[in-house]
Amino acid sequence: MKIKSLLIANRGEIAIRIVKSAKKLGIKTYGIKTAKEPNALYLSHVDHIIDFTESAEEIPEFLDVERIIEATKSNQIDAIHPGYGFLAESPYFAKRCEEEKINFIGPSASVIYKMGNKTIAKQIANKHNVPLLKGSLGSVKDAKEAIEIANSIGYPVILKAAAGGGGRGMRIVEKESHMEKMFKMATSEAEKAFNDPTVFIEKYVRNPRHIEFQIISDKHGNFIHLGERECSVQRKHQKLLEESPSVALNDSLRKEMGEAALSIAKAVDYYSAGTVEFLLDADKNFFFMEMNTRIQVEHPVTEMVTGLDLIELQIRIAQNEPLPLQQSDVKLKGWAIECRINAEDVQAGFSPNLGMIDKIMYPKSKNIRIDSGVKESSVITPYYDSMIAKLIVFGDNREKAIQNSINALNKFWIKGIKTTIPFCKAVLTHKKFKKGDFNTSFIEKEMVNLHFEGEEDEMLAAYLATFDFAAELETERTTYVDFEQGKKMSPWVLNKRLKSL
Amino acid sequence: MKLSSKKSKKEDHEYIAVNSNNNKFKIRNPFSEEVKVNSKKVDIKIFENENGFTYLVFKKKKYLAEIVEKNQNRYTVLLNGVSYSFSIETPISYKRKKYLDKQKSNSKTEILSAPMPGKIIDVLVEENSLVKEGEPILILEAMKMQNEIGSPVSGKIKKVLIKKNDAVLKDDLLIEIEK
Repeated sequence: MKIKSLLIANRGEIAIRIVKSAKKLGIKTYGIKTAKEPNALYLSHVDHIIDFTESAEEIPEFLDVERIIEATKSNQIDAIHPGYGFLAESPYFAKRCEEEKINFIGPSASVIYKMGNKTIAKQIANKHNVPLLKGSLGSVKDAKEAIEIANSIGYPVILKAAAGGGGRGMRIVEKESHMEKMFKMATSEAEKAFNDPTVFIEKYVRNPRHIEFQIISDKHGNFIHLGERECSVQRKHQKLLEESPSVALNDSLRKEMGEAALSIAKAVDYYSAGTVEFLLDADKNFFFMEMNTRIQVEHPVTEMVTGLDLIELQIRIAQNEPLPLQQSDVKLKGWAIECRINAEDVQAGFSPNLGMIDKIMYPKSKNIRIDSGVKESSVITPYYDSMIAKLIVFGDNREKAIQNSINALNKFWIKGIKTTIPFCKAVLTHKKFKKGDFNTSFIEKEMVNLHFEGEEDEMLAAYLATFDFAAELETERTTYVDFEQGKKMSPWVLNKRLKSL
Repeated sequence: MKLSSKKSKKEDHEYIAVNSNNNKFKIRNPFSEEVKVNSKKVDIKIFENENGFTYLVFKKKKYLAEIVEKNQNRYTVLLNGVSYSFSIETPISYKRKKYLDKQKSNSKTEILSAPMPGKIIDVLVEENSLVKEGEPILILEAMKMQNEIGSPVSGKIKKVLIKKNDAVLKDDLLIEIEK
């Protein structure tokens, strides 16, 4: 059962993150090289490269289940870690691994299926008395039915893709007259993103906090949770900054929500790492939203406050080892904040900022962890997600974690592309964020400036531009205006002068 | 390496950096040790470090700075990751610019260009339809997200330059609106 070799069926920072834990356990790692980024950083971290570059396939490399299975078998690799993303949430992929006797690092195919289907997940939660939002327990077939349900639970409501996640296929409907259009948009987006147009409907909670619990369990029936993460800083349902723990929870609420998370995991005989997401309303009522059956982007904040290595635990669980600790051993120590560094132009509505990274310089300190998928000369392409790195910073308490994060961002230098660093600074310096008084509408409602700008910053930029402009004028003067000496005359100027003689 | 240590010139040079909101920074003698911005003496130094980053030092703080675009006198500078655009004028060219800007603001047509690269999922207006400011006029898909693009002004659709399923690049012209 011991895993000796591991294929990492993912790219970017998470591929490198997985290599780190695999190396620690003495496991040989394999990575997939694609034609879209043949010089990617993660390829220099793996022990062996499987070449997918000469591919005429229509399916993107990391979505091509049969090809990945094929490569795993022909290289006699024991296990696959899918990272996060499509393969990690595909019950079909997990099932194919089971059939081919490949150790899939994650829960069983049937659990991925049940939790991946939001309507089944809600029914399970309902059965185990985990609080749920009112709405359709199953899917909604058309706009007419959606209107009927919405009228019975009251507007606003939210339409969500049954197979969804990551904010895609979600639409908030404020009143009946909007339903038809929104229903169409939600189903078409769901169809595109997940190959499944099914949507369900639920009561929309205005301005909730997004609180999720990290759970981890083994194949021997041991279940523990590792506390919460707060991911309320979101734009269009995309998380941008996360922290652990959350200011919104006290010990008793933490215990209550942790137990609710575990009861869902137990109900489906879950094993591996998983995340149970809740909405928390202003009165501290919590509602089950969904369970993510994979490692998450924001897992490092949990690792920082618990001192655990979640990927290592995932691998150990996959090779049948029991959990090395019990619930009472889990102590949350200090505070951790993760800033997502995305190649996006905050000033242009967070649009992807493609290009090449000319230079990159990371901040360094014992409080800082950087999970990066890029290096100098890395090219940011439109083919993949815009997240290029994560900055995770520790502090003894929230205030210190915030200050340490700001200091780290000031020393995180990138040249060549624009990133979300100025956005993260704007969040961390915002009065209400610092007070802990925020929720998922924070960006939209509270943030006047989406990027941080110091008082003198624009003046300094003006100075640099003027300095350069004046220097060029100076060069022109010395090169061309030397006419009296008849030296260094530009041919173009000379020509013109000759003509006018 | 310090870059701004050119010998001070005896002549007096004034430049005006004008941003997109028409705010002005009057900068006198940028090379000298006696730089003045809006008549106030400032001490700014430009450095380049061994990793190839350019940065400014002002009041003992470092500012990562880079000129990312330059077209004659038009500059875009990235300072601490934030873009600032200026046109740099001499006192004479500034007068001319003021005159030209006045001409431009009288124009009646507003052009909507693509805020990001992506694919046109749907066009919600036709030529000659009337739109209000903020009203969604097309749906643009970028990075698997569908974005409603609203009209920047109220007016009448003059020309639709794209159609459903077109792929567009950032800044591509999409729709002309008559104010």
